[in-house]
Amino acid sequence: MSIDIRNITKSFPGYTALDDISLKVATGELVALLGPSGCGKTTLLRIIAGLETADTGSIILENRDTTHLPARSKNVGFVFQHYALFRRLNVFDNVAFGLTVKPASERPSKQEIRDRVMHLLKLVQMDWAAKRYPSQLSGGQRQRIALARALAVNPKVLLLDEPFSALDARVRLELRRWLRKLHDEIHVTSIFVTHDQEEALGPTGSW
Amino acid sequence: MQQRKNNTTAKSRTHAKNDPAAMQALLVGMTLLFFAGFIFMPLWLVFLQALGKGWQPYIDAIREPVALEALRLTLLTAAIVVPVNAVFGVTAAWAISKFSFKGKTLLVSLLDLPFAVSPVIAGLIFVLLLGSRTPLGSWLGDHGIKIIFATPGIVIATLFITFPFVARELIPLMEAQGRVEEEAAISLGAGGWRLFRMITLPNIGWGLIYGMVLCTARSIGEFGAVSVVSGHIRGMTNTIPLHVEILYSEYNYTASFAVASILVFLALVTIGVKTALEQRLEGSHNTRH
Repeated sequence: MSIDIRNITKSFPGYTALDDISLKVATGELVALLGPSGCGKTTLLRIIAGLETADTGSIILENRDTTHLPARSKNVGFVFQHYALFRRLNVFDNVAFGLTVKPASERPSKQEIRDRVMHLLKLVQMDWAAKRYPSQLSGGQRQRIALARALAVNPKVLLLDEPFSALDARVRLELRRWLRKLHDEIHVTSIFVTHDQEEALGPTGSW
Repeated sequence: MQQRKNNTTAKSRTHAKNDPAAMQALLVGMTLLFFAGFIFMPLWLVFLQALGKGWQPYIDAIREPVALEALRLTLLTAAIVVPVNAVFGVTAAWAISKFSFKGKTLLVSLLDLPFAVSPVIAGLIFVLLLGSRTPLGSWLGDHGIKIIFATPGIVIATLFITFPFVARELIPLMEAQGRVEEEAAISLGAGGWRLFRMITLPNIGWGLIYGMVLCTARSIGEFGAVSVVSGHIRGMTNTIPLHVEILYSEYNYTASFAVASILVFLALVTIGVKTALEQRLEGSHNTRH
C-alpha cells in the first residue's frame, strides 16, 4: 500500500507545524522521518492516521483519498511513543481489541481471533505474557505488545511515532534490529518518526 | 482524598522520629480528645436520645407513616439525583479534561459554584425561577406541573447542590490519563460507544463510583436548599433532614433523634463504602505506570 502525502499544511495557534509538505512512500517501504523535536514529524504522522486534521492538502493511500475519512475507518496501524496500551485489559485483550471492535459482519470468530492474537504474540516473542497486564511489563515488552496490537487488524500502513525513544539504549538497539527483521517478514508500508540520526539510518537502511 | 493526605503526613512524622514521647502523647491525646468530643459524643448522644425512652418509642417514631414517607422521598431523590449527576459528571469531566475549547476555564470555575454558594441561596434561586408567581412557574402551573413545594423542586435543588462531586473527582483522573488510550482505540477502529464502554469507563471506574458515593451522601443529608423549595408539607414534601428538624422544633426529642439515627446509619454505611472504595482506588492508582 503506497502512501502519497500531497501539500499538507497544518497550523496551530501561534505557529505553523507543517508548511506544504509532500512525500511519497512506495508499497512495502520502511521510511524514517528524521528531525529535531517539535519540527512537525509527529503532527504529520497524526494527520496520516486521522488523529489530527490538516488545514489543506490530502493523503492518498493506494490511489484512494483518505483525507476526510474518520480515524477509525482509515485502517492505519499506529504505534505511540509511550505505548498507549489499555491498562485495564490484559495483553491478549489488548492485541485482540482491534478485532473484537469490528462490526459483527466483519468480525472473525472467537477461535480465529485467538489464533491470530497468539500468532502475533509469538511474532513479537511475547506469547508467554498473554495473561499479564501492561503494568507488569517492561518498556520494551510493552512496545512489542503495542506493535502486535497495531498489526492485528492488518493495517494498510504502519506508523511508528518515536517508538523506541522511551527505552534505554540496549533495548532500543535490540528492538530496532528486531523491527527491521519484522519488516522484512511482513512488508507493511511503514513510516517511522525519530529525532535520533543513528536510529533513522538504522532500521531503514542497513547496519 | 483528605484521608490519603493525612496518611502520608502521619507516615513522614513517624519516619522522622524527632518527637519526644511526651510530645507524641500530647498530640495523640489531643486528637483523641477532639474525636471524642466532636465525633463520638454527638453520635452517641443521638442514639442515647433516640433510645432514651426505650426501644418501643424508637421503633414507633421510625415506623410512623410520615417518617416512612420522608425516608421514601429522601431515597427517591437520591435515586434520581445520583445517576443524573453521574452522567453529567462524566460528560463534563470528559469535555473538560480531553478537549480544549473556548470558555473552558470559565466552565471549570462555574463547576464549583454549588460549593461556593450557600445552599439556602441555591434554594431561593429556584423559588425565584420556578415559583408559582414567576412567569415560568405560572406557565408550568397552568399545565398542571408543580415544581416548587413539590418533589420535582426537591430533586432539582439537590441536583444543583451535588453536581460537582462526580466531575470534580474525575477531572484530575482523566487529565492524568490523557487522550492517548482513546486515540489508540480509535486508530484500531473503535467507535464512540465501544470506546467509552471498553476503555474510558473501565479507566475511570473506581473514581466514578467514589464520586457517586460522595454525591449520595450529600443528597441524602442536604438540608438548606431542600428546606427552601420543599414547603415542609408533612407526608408530602418532607425529606428526612427536614422531618428531623420539624420534630425537634415541636419538642418531640425522642422521635426527632430516632429519625436522625436513620441519617446517622446512612452516613455510616456511606463512609464504609467510601473507605472500601478508597482502598480499591489506591490499588488501581498503584498499577498505573
